[in-house]
Amino acid sequence: MNDFTLIRKNLFRKKMRAILLIFSIMIAFLIFGALGAFYSVWTSGSSSAADNRLVTVNRINFTVSMPFAYWGRVEGVEGVTNVSHASWFGGYYQEPANFVQTFAVDPESWLAVYSELTMPDEQRAAFFNTRDCLLVGADLATQYGWSVGDRIPLLSNIWQKQDGTSSWDFEVCAVFDAEDDTLPTNYAMFHYEYYNEALAFNRDNIGWMVLTTIDAAQNDRIMREIDSLFANSPAETETSTEAAFNEAFAAQFGNIALILLFVVGAAFMTILMIVGTTMVMAINERTKEIGVMKTLGFPAPRIFRMVLIESILLSLVGGLLGLGLATLAVAGSAAAMAAFLPGLSMPPLVLSIGLALAIGLGFITGIIPAINAQRVTIVTALGKL
Amino acid sequence: MFDQIAAVTLINLRSIPQRALLSGATVFSIALVVMVLLGFLAMSSGFSKTMQGTGSADVAVMLRTGSQTELNSGLSVDQLRLIEEAPGIARDANDIPIVSGELFVIVDGIKRASQTEANLPLRGVGPAAQSLRQGFTIVEGRTYEAGTNELIVGEGIIREFAGFDLGQTIRLGSNEWVVVGIFSTGGTVFDSEIWTDLTVIQNLYQRGTSVQSIRARLTSPEAIEEVRAYAENDPRLNLDIQSEVDYFASQAGGTAMLITYLGVPLSIAMAIGALAGAWNTMYSSVDTRMREIATLRAIGFSGFAAAFGTMVESLALAGLGGLIGAAGVYLLFNGVSASTLGSSFTQVVFSFAVTPMSVVLGLGLALIVGFLGGIIPAIRAATVPLLAVHRS
Repeated sequence: MNDFTLIRKNLFRKKMRAILLIFSIMIAFLIFGALGAFYSVWTSGSSSAADNRLVTVNRINFTVSMPFAYWGRVEGVEGVTNVSHASWFGGYYQEPANFVQTFAVDPESWLAVYSELTMPDEQRAAFFNTRDCLLVGADLATQYGWSVGDRIPLLSNIWQKQDGTSSWDFEVCAVFDAEDDTLPTNYAMFHYEYYNEALAFNRDNIGWMVLTTIDAAQNDRIMREIDSLFANSPAETETSTEAAFNEAFAAQFGNIALILLFVVGAAFMTILMIVGTTMVMAINERTKEIGVMKTLGFPAPRIFRMVLIESILLSLVGGLLGLGLATLAVAGSAAAMAAFLPGLSMPPLVLSIGLALAIGLGFITGIIPAINAQRVTIVTALGKL
Repeated sequence: MFDQIAAVTLINLRSIPQRALLSGATVFSIALVVMVLLGFLAMSSGFSKTMQGTGSADVAVMLRTGSQTELNSGLSVDQLRLIEEAPGIARDANDIPIVSGELFVIVDGIKRASQTEANLPLRGVGPAAQSLRQGFTIVEGRTYEAGTNELIVGEGIIREFAGFDLGQTIRLGSNEWVVVGIFSTGGTVFDSEIWTDLTVIQNLYQRGTSVQSIRARLTSPEAIEEVRAYAENDPRLNLDIQSEVDYFASQAGGTAMLITYLGVPLSIAMAIGALAGAWNTMYSSVDTRMREIATLRAIGFSGFAAAFGTMVESLALAGLGGLIGAAGVYLLFNGVSASTLGSSFTQVVFSFAVTPMSVVLGLGLALIVGFLGGIIPAIRAATVPLLAVHRS
């Protein structure tokens, strides 16, 4: 019988109690894992942003458009490698509830700026050469069951054509995916020209520009130069890095990080209290036994170690079960959440932090009982009847 | 029988301090569960309260067909003129129809909490706009003068966004504006808006003579049907006409539901975790009093009385936790101002609202945890073998 057998027997001496504790630890780590995965997808906009990619929007607000001519002027700024532009289409398919994220873009420069978007070469060529082509993201294609060759109309809830309708007809001629699975592919793009020529109002305007710079170190200078090009015009611009733009956008919904921190904090406080007090009690019950062990010659450090390992083991069992369950839950809900939170998956970082937290929790809840156990003197222990 | 129950219950409750640490942990963990639930509910009901408190039944909102929100809509000045002549629309003392053509541009404001830019609506309104909002008052300063670069700012904006104080000059795009007044509509969505004269917005932001929405006072809520019939008979008027109440109710749904859908499963999961704590506490309560309970049973106390005492102890701990949690949320969060992106793609400022209904729900959840946590230990207490008296 080695120490580990003894630790295990001690842990499960009261089966019901051990199971309950493991269960409540599991719940806390399930919450931690699920919210951790949610948070990492939520903030993926800023982590997936390329550090040499900039966004230029109208200074009033990014929903306000700017003249098409700006595009050509930004191209001339030194250090800019590629510039493209996009306009929000406000698209839906058949019913207003079937919202489809759609942008009118300049095809070739767009795919040069977003080089992480991949598709077969012949589809790329088809997108460049077909005026009414709709380039559909893989997740979006799955959502609506669209495939290459389908002809679909998309309606806009903003724009009208000169004929008074709001419907543009497209041919799905390419489907794109992303190099990295966590990047969203739940949107679609089409030719700016095809959209602009039919517009009844707001013609020759673009929504925003994206550009890549030759070197991230020159970002600051390039941002200043672009904005000074349009200073004091009716449409002044504001250029920022893609990461900063995405962060500011996410922050519009509220302080999600703080809310999640509150919830995870509350979950951990709960188990800290429950497990901590139970461990103190469980070891107190064993005082007499520890006295016997000491009489038999178990040195105090060994007893200290055994108690501490017991509580870390308890946390680890609960923690691993919880993280495992969270991984399953995230994988299970990924498909259902694809439209709202594309690329939902369990990041390894969350699992590692969870593991560290489990060990930490075991240590914190075990340290006081372990010190108590180490200090027990044989006389008081055996005198306690 | 009742004497027995009362006696055992008292013994149970008086013995709680002997397990102070464990009982304290249970109370505290249940309090945290209730706080999480009530926190989310306070957020969700605060947001819905703001949205649903907005709008009157006798004001009609007209948008271009299919546009769903004001942001996407666009209407011409001709359509505005036609609506002014529609039947069912109320007129003021001078026989002028109470109709306001409105247009908003989304501008950037700096959110105090995060110091990041956020979308705010700069709304250009007609002269009738203020009388079309119930409870509209200028709290400080005065109203804007038509045709100038003056604007008035809603109370909600002042709370959540920096740089809009009275008298301040602000730059929105390439234009400078002066804040001349602060208005309130009693906590509705309009408090999260910035207002100025319609024609100024049309000129400065190159919108010609177009508007996005038309608001009109109806002679009665039922008169909306007359306006609808009038619009349907005129091919120039392709409008969606809704009462303002319905319009805002339809815009409230998504966000409030999302918060509730997130908060409820989370707090239920936490409640299951706390259940383990309650169970554990009650188990040890019965455990440590094994001899006492057996003695009571031996002198003729019923098993039911023993079980009842244990159950009351469990419910008392849970109820106390629930009360502490509810009080904590009330003190920490009730009335706290926050803002999020609403359906017009602009910020809606709202206040957390801890409603009586949500407190009842929270206490209910706490008591369920107490009941489930106490039931098995209580049964155990009822079935303590009499021989346990002899246990040393």
